[in-house]
Amino acid sequence: MTTLTVSQAPSRWWKSRVMRRFLSHRLALLGLLMISLLALACVIGPYLLPYDSLHIDLRARFAPPLTGDHYLGTDPLGRDLAARLFMAGRISLLVGFFAMVLSICVGTLIGVIAGYRGGWISVVLMRTVDGFLSYPTIFLLLALAAALKPSPVMITVIIAVTSWMEVARIVEAEVRSLKEREFVLAGRMLGLGRSHIMFREILPNAMGPIIVAATLTVARAILLEAYISFLGFGIQPPLPSWGNMLNGAQQYLATAPWLAIIPGAAITIAVSSFNFIGDGLRDALDVRNDNI
Amino acid sequence: MTNQNNGKSGFSRRATLRMMAAGGAAGLIAPNLLGKPAFAATPPETPTGRIVVGLSQEPTVFNPLMPHIEVDDGVDFSVFDALFRIDVDGVIVPNLATEVPSLENGGISEDGLNWRVHLRDDVTWHDGTPFTAEDVKYTLELIVNPDFRAWRTTGHELVRDITVVSPTEITWRMEEPFAPYLSFLTETFMVPKHILETEENLNEAAFNQAPIGTGAFKWGKRLAGDRLELVANPEYFGEGPYIEQLVFKYIPDMTVLYAQFKSGDIDLVGQAYITPDNYAEAKTLPDRVVTPEPKGSVESIYLNQDLPVFQEQAVREALYLAMDRTSIIDALYYGVPSPAETFMPPQSYYYNPDLPKQEFNLDRAREILDAAGWVPGSDGIREKDGLRLSFANSTTVGNHLREQTQQFLQQTFAEIGVEMKIDNLPPAVMWGDFWGQSQFDSVMVGITYLVGGDPDVTYRFHTDAIAAKGGSGSNNAQYSNPEVDALLIAGSREFDPKKRQAIYFKIQEIIRHDLPFLPLFVYTNVYGYKAGIEGFAVNSNTRTESWKAAAWYWS
Amino acid sequence: MPAFLLKRLMQSLVLLVIVSIIGFVVLNLIPGGPMAQYALDPGMTEADKARLAEQLGLNRPLLVQYFDWAWRLVQGDWGTSFRDGNPVLTVIGRHLFATFLLMGSSTVIAIGVGTWIGIRGATHRYSIFDYAATVGAMAALSIPTFWFGLIGIYVFSLKLGWLPAGNMYSIGDGSVLDYMHHLIMPSVVLALVHIAIWSRYMRTATLDAISQEFVKTARAKGVSERRVLMKHVVGNALLPMITLAGVQLPSILTGALVTETVFTWPGMGRLFLDSLGYADYPVVMGLLMFSAMLTIAGNLIADIVVALVDPRIRLA
Repeated sequence: MTTLTVSQAPSRWWKSRVMRRFLSHRLALLGLLMISLLALACVIGPYLLPYDSLHIDLRARFAPPLTGDHYLGTDPLGRDLAARLFMAGRISLLVGFFAMVLSICVGTLIGVIAGYRGGWISVVLMRTVDGFLSYPTIFLLLALAAALKPSPVMITVIIAVTSWMEVARIVEAEVRSLKEREFVLAGRMLGLGRSHIMFREILPNAMGPIIVAATLTVARAILLEAYISFLGFGIQPPLPSWGNMLNGAQQYLATAPWLAIIPGAAITIAVSSFNFIGDGLRDALDVRNDNI
Repeated sequence: MTNQNNGKSGFSRRATLRMMAAGGAAGLIAPNLLGKPAFAATPPETPTGRIVVGLSQEPTVFNPLMPHIEVDDGVDFSVFDALFRIDVDGVIVPNLATEVPSLENGGISEDGLNWRVHLRDDVTWHDGTPFTAEDVKYTLELIVNPDFRAWRTTGHELVRDITVVSPTEITWRMEEPFAPYLSFLTETFMVPKHILETEENLNEAAFNQAPIGTGAFKWGKRLAGDRLELVANPEYFGEGPYIEQLVFKYIPDMTVLYAQFKSGDIDLVGQAYITPDNYAEAKTLPDRVVTPEPKGSVESIYLNQDLPVFQEQAVREALYLAMDRTSIIDALYYGVPSPAETFMPPQSYYYNPDLPKQEFNLDRAREILDAAGWVPGSDGIREKDGLRLSFANSTTVGNHLREQTQQFLQQTFAEIGVEMKIDNLPPAVMWGDFWGQSQFDSVMVGITYLVGGDPDVTYRFHTDAIAAKGGSGSNNAQYSNPEVDALLIAGSREFDPKKRQAIYFKIQEIIRHDLPFLPLFVYTNVYGYKAGIEGFAVNSNTRTESWKAAAWYWS
Repeated sequence: MPAFLLKRLMQSLVLLVIVSIIGFVVLNLIPGGPMAQYALDPGMTEADKARLAEQLGLNRPLLVQYFDWAWRLVQGDWGTSFRDGNPVLTVIGRHLFATFLLMGSSTVIAIGVGTWIGIRGATHRYSIFDYAATVGAMAALSIPTFWFGLIGIYVFSLKLGWLPAGNMYSIGDGSVLDYMHHLIMPSVVLALVHIAIWSRYMRTATLDAISQEFVKTARAKGVSERRVLMKHVVGNALLPMITLAGVQLPSILTGALVTETVFTWPGMGRLFLDSLGYADYPVVMGLLMFSAMLTIAGNLIADIVVALVDPRIRLA
């Protein structure tokens, strides 16, 4: 630990109480359980199934769930849907996770700088945040997706580009309220550098809201990936993602409804898990923010 | 009521040949009328009823001379007339003209340079003003007006010295002989001089939003994003119209388009038609006529000849052998389309039926690659002189059937040691410089090679048509073969159909051998309409199902 | 008040400039441009496309294009659609009704149902209903709107045949009843997320109000429970509700756009996707600007209403 003692003392007390409160939040535990199981299934599931997610077998196309070894049926190319679902889960969860990491980094950086520096820097940064927030996210997302070559990395970046603003707002508000506190003033007296104070002193104390926002951002990122892949602009086949498994599902809704139902259910489970966890964390960390 | 029923039946194959022998008539000749008596019922005396055509794209451009897409054609063909039309047999017939100019009737001079067209004297614009040769002159001049955002200018830019001899006679001179021009004129709709010359800015004229033509239908009203209504023009000089109202309904989703046809909300499935996966069910629907009809475009894996791996004949041949087209057509496309070996549509008079048939033979493909010195590397992908036999294939995102085909091909190509990566792009990216400047490795694409049924494909296969190398055509595969170049030029200057046929047979033979693209199949549209609709015919020489809505009526 | 208004208006203007710059930069990242749609036209040569691009002024430097566009916008000219030749405002205007109809009806559903669930949850705190409502709201926030729409189509159109699978009206009918029939499913689908938000919000607001003195007094006076709630709680929560409605505007607009793509609803979402597909820059820019204005106006109006009613806010 490199943080100063002033910030360390409250941090330890914070931990135990938070844990206790989080563990008493039943929904949050349920969410944690669900997402752990889902993630586990995505990691080991493909090894347990007799089919490869990419293996095409036109004779077995459109098999409904529970036919033979195809527990969840097959898709229009006769690929095993269960195998694809787990492989897709890896992609979707990873895209969601890294989009969160990116947007938290960008959002935090901008929030901390704007909150701590104030003045015209803050005005410019926060107005840009407002500018991005003034569009329906979908417009910006689709315009970007239509302009760029879709690869998992690019999709992650696009989602992050449209998700960092909320974080920036939350962090900015938090930092602004923290910067006049004693430990910050003390740090300044000690002659610590500006970036040291911003990122070593203030940031650890603003972690609560950031953690909550991070959890909810994962949920949101998974939803966004699903939507743009559903429209065909997102993750491209043969790589499966929960969203692109739904792409085309509308066409087969009458004849093969499981193609639509199964991936959508997986998305809903994943997203609600993160939302439940986020809710639990918010209660546990005592974060008051209705915007997130 | 003017009616040309009798005149029409006279255009048999004999008449076709006569016209073609006379020179000038380009086209497609397979008789392709629907398999039922053309006029079992009789059309009503006065226009009655309404037909709703469902389209998966929205018609938005109503000035027929401005850039537009296929769905706009349906409106243009209904509201406007051209000098000539191309009928279902690929025969060019008079529309606003009284006869089709040819070498025989003197309409086109022996050297192919001087043209003379006689016009009908009984045509009026929708506002009552008579149509005259002045309108034709105005139209042809407008197309090459540098301030006007014109659509296609090929052929028109060769026209010089347009002279109005009388209100019903016009002449012009061509800079060089250009046989396809007659076909091009079948899609060049005449616009009214007396209205457009009063407009200040032709690109944003009021006319463009409420066009006035000479066609069988008049402009009704448009609800943007939803539908367009046309109403019958009772004064129409030609056949029909028999229905009072023609509605083009925009339904952006193919599944919903079909569902609305099934439920009876739309009477006729237009542009984009019934998807192959719904064909089997559609056939069984009561009171619906559902017919698959081949159209003029060919789906292929289009190879960029500039890519080192594709420069080798052996590689192109091996890839063609590794395509399981039967499975693709039967399973993925539900048996709707038919296999292709050439760019020429099978209905065409110029279609060469004797080209070698593709076979699916992985062993033979491996032998060819082995013989050419491509040896499998450690990862199973073949290599030669440090070059991996690997390429990317692209198509537009969100096209399910193409995506499925790509993934299926990927698997069989892998079996002969070839890696095909899938690299799909949003349409705006795909069809920009990526396509135009040949930045792709390979593309899965459906291309219509002919314009108005004319066999001239110079701009697709001539060396000077490579845009990426400064050419002005659309030879995006960067195909170059001097022999083909010479044949293409000869073909575009030849007016005699027999001689032209020989030229284009040879061209197809060479291209089938060179394989600048690997043909998959001939696109087949599944048309569907309510059983009560009479007079509907498919014309694969046009881009629209509504090429002759004037003849439609309810029995 | 005028000073406050002026300040907020100035801020909004600055925002719009930022918005337009972001939009313009993003759009011009699209490499194909409007000529891409003619790529496969058999009769159009590369020369034809180059000529058209020149005529449309697409070859000018980006900065020149931006200032030209912005200068016209200031004068009230939003440009002309490449695709259909109409002024951009006309094009947008023609799609507004469908989107607003959808947004409006689903907002009514969301507020109605959400308020009911919220108040009932608060008055029956810790009941099974309350718990189910809380979990339900969380789940509703997690369901992808488009997927919920698909499931709705599967159940209510394909299986039960009760509701149409898409479109705004039946051709040849178009009566009010017919519109409503088509409106039910998309508005409920769109409303789902917002019911969740409203119910949670109303629950908190009601709980706050119940704990306040004047409600207790009223109750002590023997006024019936229902009347107290309706009068005081809802009356009290009304103000924050207006703010919430303003803040919710972008999210409901976003939701409407998503819903439109599933139900082939002829609104702005459809227009946006189509225009993007054809690279119809003026319309795409117009839609971006229009939705930004709507959002900013929503926030502004919410602020003003609150400031009018509650003088303390003005200082903030």
